[in-house]
Amino acid sequence: MSDPLLATEDGAVRWTSPFCLLLCDTLAVRADASGRALELAAGECAGARRALARFGAVPSTATPLVDGRPAAPEQAIEAAAAILAASRQPLFGGLGTDVAGARALYRLAEGTGAICDAAQGDALMHTLRPLQDRGGYGTTLAEVRNRADLVVCVDGLPAGEAAEWLARCGVGEGASGPDAPHLVLLGGTPGDQVALATLAARGALTTEYVALQGDLFDTVALLGARVAGRTVPAAAPAIDALAGRLRAARYAVLVGQSARLPAHGALVVEAVHRVVGTLNASTRAAAMWLGGGNGAGTVNAVFTWLSGLPLRSRAGPAGREHDPACLGTARLLADDAVDSLLWVSSFDPDCAPPATTVPLVVLGHPELAASAQREGSVFVPVSTPGIGSAGHLFRADGGAVLPLVPVYRDTLPELATVLDALAGCVQALRAKAAP
Amino acid sequence: MSSMRLAGGLVIDPAGPADGVRDLCVQDGRIVALDPRAPVDETIDASGCVVMAGGIDLHTHIGGGKVNLARLLMPESHRGDAQCGGCVPGTLDTGHRYAQMGYTAAFEPAMVASNARHAHMEMGDTPILDHGAYVMLGNDEFFLQLLAEGGAAGGNFEAIRDYMGWTLRATRAMGVKVVNPAGISAFKFNQRKLDVDERHVHWQVTPRQVVHTLARALRELGVPHPLHIHGSNLGVAGNIASTLETIRALEGLPAHLTHVQFHAYGTDGPRKFSSAALELAEAVNSNPAISIDVGQIIFGQTVTASGDTMRQHAQAGFGSPRKWVGADLECEAGCGVVPFRYREQSYVNALQWVIGLELFLLVRDPWRVVLTTDHPNGGPFTSYPHLIRLLMDRAFREEQLARLHPEVAANCALRSITRELSLHEVAIMTRAAPARLLGLPDRGHLGVGAAADIAVYRAQADREAMFQVPEYVFKDGTLVARGGRVVATPVGGTHFVEPDYDRGIEKRLRAHLAAHGSVNFDHIAIGHDELCRCCNGGRLLPAACFTDGRAAP
Repeated sequence: MSDPLLATEDGAVRWTSPFCLLLCDTLAVRADASGRALELAAGECAGARRALARFGAVPSTATPLVDGRPAAPEQAIEAAAAILAASRQPLFGGLGTDVAGARALYRLAEGTGAICDAAQGDALMHTLRPLQDRGGYGTTLAEVRNRADLVVCVDGLPAGEAAEWLARCGVGEGASGPDAPHLVLLGGTPGDQVALATLAARGALTTEYVALQGDLFDTVALLGARVAGRTVPAAAPAIDALAGRLRAARYAVLVGQSARLPAHGALVVEAVHRVVGTLNASTRAAAMWLGGGNGAGTVNAVFTWLSGLPLRSRAGPAGREHDPACLGTARLLADDAVDSLLWVSSFDPDCAPPATTVPLVVLGHPELAASAQREGSVFVPVSTPGIGSAGHLFRADGGAVLPLVPVYRDTLPELATVLDALAGCVQALRAKAAP
Repeated sequence: MSSMRLAGGLVIDPAGPADGVRDLCVQDGRIVALDPRAPVDETIDASGCVVMAGGIDLHTHIGGGKVNLARLLMPESHRGDAQCGGCVPGTLDTGHRYAQMGYTAAFEPAMVASNARHAHMEMGDTPILDHGAYVMLGNDEFFLQLLAEGGAAGGNFEAIRDYMGWTLRATRAMGVKVVNPAGISAFKFNQRKLDVDERHVHWQVTPRQVVHTLARALRELGVPHPLHIHGSNLGVAGNIASTLETIRALEGLPAHLTHVQFHAYGTDGPRKFSSAALELAEAVNSNPAISIDVGQIIFGQTVTASGDTMRQHAQAGFGSPRKWVGADLECEAGCGVVPFRYREQSYVNALQWVIGLELFLLVRDPWRVVLTTDHPNGGPFTSYPHLIRLLMDRAFREEQLARLHPEVAANCALRSITRELSLHEVAIMTRAAPARLLGLPDRGHLGVGAAADIAVYRAQADREAMFQVPEYVFKDGTLVARGGRVVATPVGGTHFVEPDYDRGIEKRLRAHLAAHGSVNFDHIAIGHDELCRCCNGGRLLPAACFTDGRAAP
């Protein structure tokens, strides 16, 4: 049993959250009163608070499983390697890990020809495809904090994994007055409107709710037309007023959360980018899409730099292939286009593999043992970067990469260690099978 | 413990004694002097070959946020060419292809401080090559504020110098680059152009002040590589005026002007776009403290990735295919990525091509000219062998010139330039000079004690073929490529500087970032062990700073 590292003066570890899209990094973590779970000791981050409750205050003693039965780590690696070595087209899904895990995943994917797609692959593609087709103009937290005089939240206020976005950008936190940005909620749920009213009641900023005109797609298209000064068939005074505000702003920021976008959300992203592009011809504006949580954004960045292509790619017989439409997890499983699934979720115990009958390898949070109980499955619990081991993650705005510090020294292996052992084992099995 | 003798090659080593046919001995990764009769583990017959130090690319966009954005923007560049991976290859291909050409080191010129870990990670995943990066300053609000509040008399100079020292150490950089001085910030305030003596609309400072202050601070910190300058008005007809003013702004301080081809345009002729290569070459010839790299354009598809949002936004309409991505970054920088297809029949592109070659051939001192295409902005680095042939072979150059837009082909000064570079001069521009300009005493040459980074080329009349596929490439004595095939992929090392500075600045910076930043100050600096992890376990290669406050001899 390793020594926990909770031995600081005040019993709290200065900590950066791997659980939110913004990597809140002025937090502290300690064991809760029961001594069994972790909790925030300083700072606020809703995503971190929620996630910490799912980790024990001391390192996990979880063990691997093969076919749902406890197994030694070496046996589990061998069983997982047998699955991959026998697979003609593996799928690596989930992809909840950090930079070191992504580097190791890439090595294994290269060796096995696996297709790789993140758990929130569809949301990731909502922002990736418009970028590939037309580009866009982005910004980062510090720019919003210092520059934005108008913030438009598209289809809801940042919430969940991005709950601290407004606070991190200083919206509603700083002094009111000419420097405080005007906050517009475009669409969203009744809950968003309540949250907006709460912000307005604090008095630190002016707010405004603009209802959708038709659906979200219609609304952003209409907004684009009005920002560009084009006439539209039916009058929409609220959208006209918003277009006027955008044109008058010194630095407008349109922000949205990619996981909240509906099917074909890429069209919304593209339309918002068009608004930004039009504005930038005469004033300044930028978009920010909050997404890529649970390591997906980080793994996408790492795969892109290693191979030149983002996720939903594979090293195929004719070279590297990338297809954001065809290489998604749900479609591949539904089409029986893959014959094994390796699922990684180091951060989120609720991110279980999709239902499938193909041989399954799960590497992740100890609680994911529940998802690998059947015959033909292997489970290896791995350390969570930022809980049991160090690591690095990309912040959702893309620029900053932050180091993660462990809360304690883990008993569980790091994902990269497991994957490299697995790669060695697959290679040995293949060599043995070759004539 | 291993030893090797490269026997009977024509050794071209501009930093050493005379070139000539001789044996070169290597022991444990270093060049050594061995008795001709001393036994070695391996002897390689290099007769008929030209032996040079490994190539060093001192300006190539190989790692970091904007490069990865370029990859995301251009998935189509991988289609139909599985071998090449397009104009922005992944890091693995980048390392392999540089090594296959005999290059053993590459430097990322535009690292954003807040993105430094990412840049180091990508470079660490670029196999074989040693690497380093220049961190960008001169558009960050903290610097601009200090400069503005210090007034014309430079009241805050010491604070700026210490801030630069802190930034260099925190980001593990090898040098400092300024991109469109104050212009990237000005664009955030909706300013669309900024001449050398024009004031930033908010901070009221000028590019002249920015350039001079940064160059002076870097010199006082003793950093070997002088200020790396991407000047004002990139790509604008008539920008030769601001380029010459930028040189004047330095007032004799050392500096490296980068991708000068994009900054040497006049306004003569019916199209108001002309070559100003001669004027720039004269300025370089008469300012010994100035060095340049060219940023030659190469015809074909590429993608331009730059920190210069102001200029990239202005030129995005010329992009092909018509899409682009830009961003404002953390109140310190920006990035803009625009795909370009340079065409021989375009008057502007043809003239750009001519201007680059004129600059190479008109600057007299090869020690102050580095061969680059500003990869991938002027063209991919894989076109270096082609570029070398253009410079060494006048007949080939004329042949290419004849294919260009007829007005350019008929009227350019390049037609009358007869100079052909020698192997010696090429060796200077591709390894000896960059090593010297970067302050790498054991790289870029083949003297005793140097690292055994060696490229062995089969001598051929066709210089493109010769430089395309070396017979042997060694990295620190290890054979990494043989006849164009990569045979080993060691992890490269990281070059960086560690200047001394007054740590009092950290308190001020901490307060500034608490009020304006988005990252906890304590998490910004990259520690030694962390750098190692970022760089994939490669060796850390701190470069010495000059302690007397003077720049490189």
